[in-house]
Amino acid sequence: MRVWVDMQTETSPAQIADVSPDIKLDARQINFFYSDFQALHDVSLAVQACKITALIGPSGCGKTTFLRIFNRMYDLVPTARVTGEVLLAGHNVLDPDTDVIQLRRQVGMLFQRANPFPKSIYDNVAYGPRMLGWSKLEVDRIVEESLKDTGLWDEVKDRLKRSALNLSGGQQQRLCLARALAVQPNVILMDEPASALDPIATLRIEELMQELKKRYTIVIVTHNMQQASRVSDFTAFMLMNQQRAGELIEFGPTDDIFNRPKDNRTEDYITGRFG
Amino acid sequence: MAAIRTQFDQELAELKSGVLRLGSMIEQAISDSMRALVERDNELAKRVIARDQEVNELHRQLRERAFMIMATQQPVARDLRLIVSFQHMVLELERMGDHAVGIARAALRLNDLPLLKPYVDLPRMAELTESQVHDILGAVIEADQDRARAIAERDDEVDILYHKLWDELLGYMIEDTANVHRAAILLFLAKDLERIADRVTNIAEDVVFLHTGRIVELS
Repeated sequence: MRVWVDMQTETSPAQIADVSPDIKLDARQINFFYSDFQALHDVSLAVQACKITALIGPSGCGKTTFLRIFNRMYDLVPTARVTGEVLLAGHNVLDPDTDVIQLRRQVGMLFQRANPFPKSIYDNVAYGPRMLGWSKLEVDRIVEESLKDTGLWDEVKDRLKRSALNLSGGQQQRLCLARALAVQPNVILMDEPASALDPIATLRIEELMQELKKRYTIVIVTHNMQQASRVSDFTAFMLMNQQRAGELIEFGPTDDIFNRPKDNRTEDYITGRFG
Repeated sequence: MAAIRTQFDQELAELKSGVLRLGSMIEQAISDSMRALVERDNELAKRVIARDQEVNELHRQLRERAFMIMATQQPVARDLRLIVSFQHMVLELERMGDHAVGIARAALRLNDLPLLKPYVDLPRMAELTESQVHDILGAVIEADQDRARAIAERDDEVDILYHKLWDELLGYMIEDTANVHRAAILLFLAKDLERIADRVTNIAEDVVFLHTGRIVELS
């Protein structure tokens, strides 16, 4: 969670005009490399604002790599290199002059396994706002709001000072989500957020996503196709090409992708006939 | 790309084979019920009525199997369309079986009465309907939406004959009230044939849905 460590600056990015107001994130011709290995080939995807976009595809097709481009998580990998552009509010987040801290505040992330800090429940959620220099009153308010937004408040309000590590797996994941919400992002990236949870906790996360999408844009990577079809508004199917680089095969409304996919490879994958 | 989901594919194949078996039972029931009328064969009419139990049982089994596949395999896209279409097709086929029973019952009531008129248009109507049923089952086997659309268009021919018969039988009733009983039974019988042809159109719509994922109205 280096993302939160250096949150200090809040510069406004330069505006680029040619972006539809409905498009929150616009990835254009993304090519991504780990040293000489190309992991993504020419991927373009426009993520609609206040909708849930699911990225599906077999292991190794570059879903997670693609997801991590949106908030420059790849910066943490020394050999990583990317070409193309990702527009967020008109600014290309791949520009070297992008304020990455500010970017990661705008584009929060939830990981496969819950990763609460070894601190109290309160401190976990308060961490980001405190780093931003918010007042105690503001921090108290945002902690309560974020915990309410994630349905945790009633479960933890009497033990806010207790360790977050004592929460159940599902609660920890919702706490991490509350922590992400506390810095008021626009976009939430989710990398298989429910893969380590039981079915009930999974459904709670999914219900939460439906509530959150009224205010946030969500991009989720999931291996669970039922989950993608249940929760998302749009689905992107990715696949490795002959050179093992991930490509976008088909993107569209989830209803279309799961009922009437246009590409036979999508149909083969979602019907479980891809091996 | 390696083929997987062998078990699932086998279950779908068995479901399809069951739908076609039901279709062939219905073809036989329609043909036998009309033969029972034209040849005044009461035993054959009774056999059609008795065999409807087998139709109903197969219909029940196929619906159950389709439900189980949906519950256990979570089908999507073409697989889901296939199962949903088959579920609807077996319902239509079972209803066609009920219409064949209707024809057989009408035959039982008419066979011991004097002929109101020689059977000409009714066998013609039955022939058209039977060929529609036969052809639509072929379109199901081939999942051929163009053929299904063409078969649905043939429903007009059956409708024209039905309306012609209606007028003619009404004329018999007006002409002599002694004809009313037999003419009314024949009207119901003709309605059964006309409804079978309508249900062929419904199955044609299923074939189009199976192919395109779009729900269409072909009538």
